Amino acid sequence: MDDSLFRLKQSYDEKGIFFSLSGPISQDLIVEIGDILKHKMKLEEASNSTILKVFSLLIEQSQNIIHYSVEKIQTQEKLNKELHFGIITVGFDGGHYYVIAGNLIDNKDIHRLDEKLNKIADMDNDQLKAYYKSERKKESDQQSKGAGLGFIEIARKACQPLEYNFEKIDSDHSYFTLKTVI
Amino acid sequence: MKNLVIEPTKYTPGINFLFDERVLEISGESYPENTAEFYSPVLKWITEFLKINESKTITVNIVIQYFNSSSSKIFMDLFDLLNDKSHEGLNIIVNWNYLEEDDNMLEYGEEFQEDVDNLKFNLVPRKSI
Repeated sequence: MDDSLFRLKQSYDEKGIFFSLSGPISQDLIVEIGDILKHKMKLEEASNSTILKVFSLLIEQSQNIIHYSVEKIQTQEKLNKELHFGIITVGFDGGHYYVIAGNLIDNKDIHRLDEKLNKIADMDNDQLKAYYKSERKKESDQQSKGAGLGFIEIARKACQPLEYNFEKIDSDHSYFTLKTVI
Repeated sequence: MKNLVIEPTKYTPGINFLFDERVLEISGESYPENTAEFYSPVLKWITEFLKINESKTITVNIVIQYFNSSSSKIFMDLFDLLNDKSHEGLNIIVNWNYLEEDDNMLEYGEEFQEDVDNLKFNLVPRKSI
């Protein structure tokens, strides 16, 4: 048998990754993941504030996958219900928890995402707060399944600038990865 | 109008809107998969309720432990609506309840408070929620 799974485990250990999931992600699943991660962090005596921030970033990043991943299938019994695929990992390194999540996106959406994330990356906490509040006061965007506030919320919770990457797969699709450090 | 009562789940809050008492409570966790869908009947009920002109005070109790960014947008829409109505003369009080050691929820409450100019928006520390 090949040892690729063991190599993956070794690579996770080197990076401090203690949770990973790759596949279809549902609302109920992220609730359970949230519960088990809260439990783990409590055992590690992380502060309530840290636990809440990690939980919040897990929810925002997982719901981004549920809403926006273009790697998806429709389930048979309920045709209006789609299953969206992505990867979520949570780790601890250098005294900080971090969440890395990724999903497939259309290349045509790269520009819009990159622009938004780039704008946020240059902001300090006061600017992020002002931007968050002004976006929240705007009329709801019908195109957005969330409220368009997710990335700003994520940046406000993170203690370091967001890191992100678009890895081109073919002429239509890229893999979008976002890392947040708490 | 009938009361609006929705039982809480792990990721949607309990809704207890009592017509006669004029007390509206939202309590629990708020990170629905589809936030607009969950809150649509809630906002609809409130919109109808606010059309009824009565002088008795309306009390809105928010007792939320966690909410996601799209819920934050819905709460702002709700407070904007209540703020407009209090400009029109309705007497409305919002109580933003938070665990006394939970600085995050206090800060969220303050940020909503800053964004309404006429609504009585109280930040209420509690020992337990």
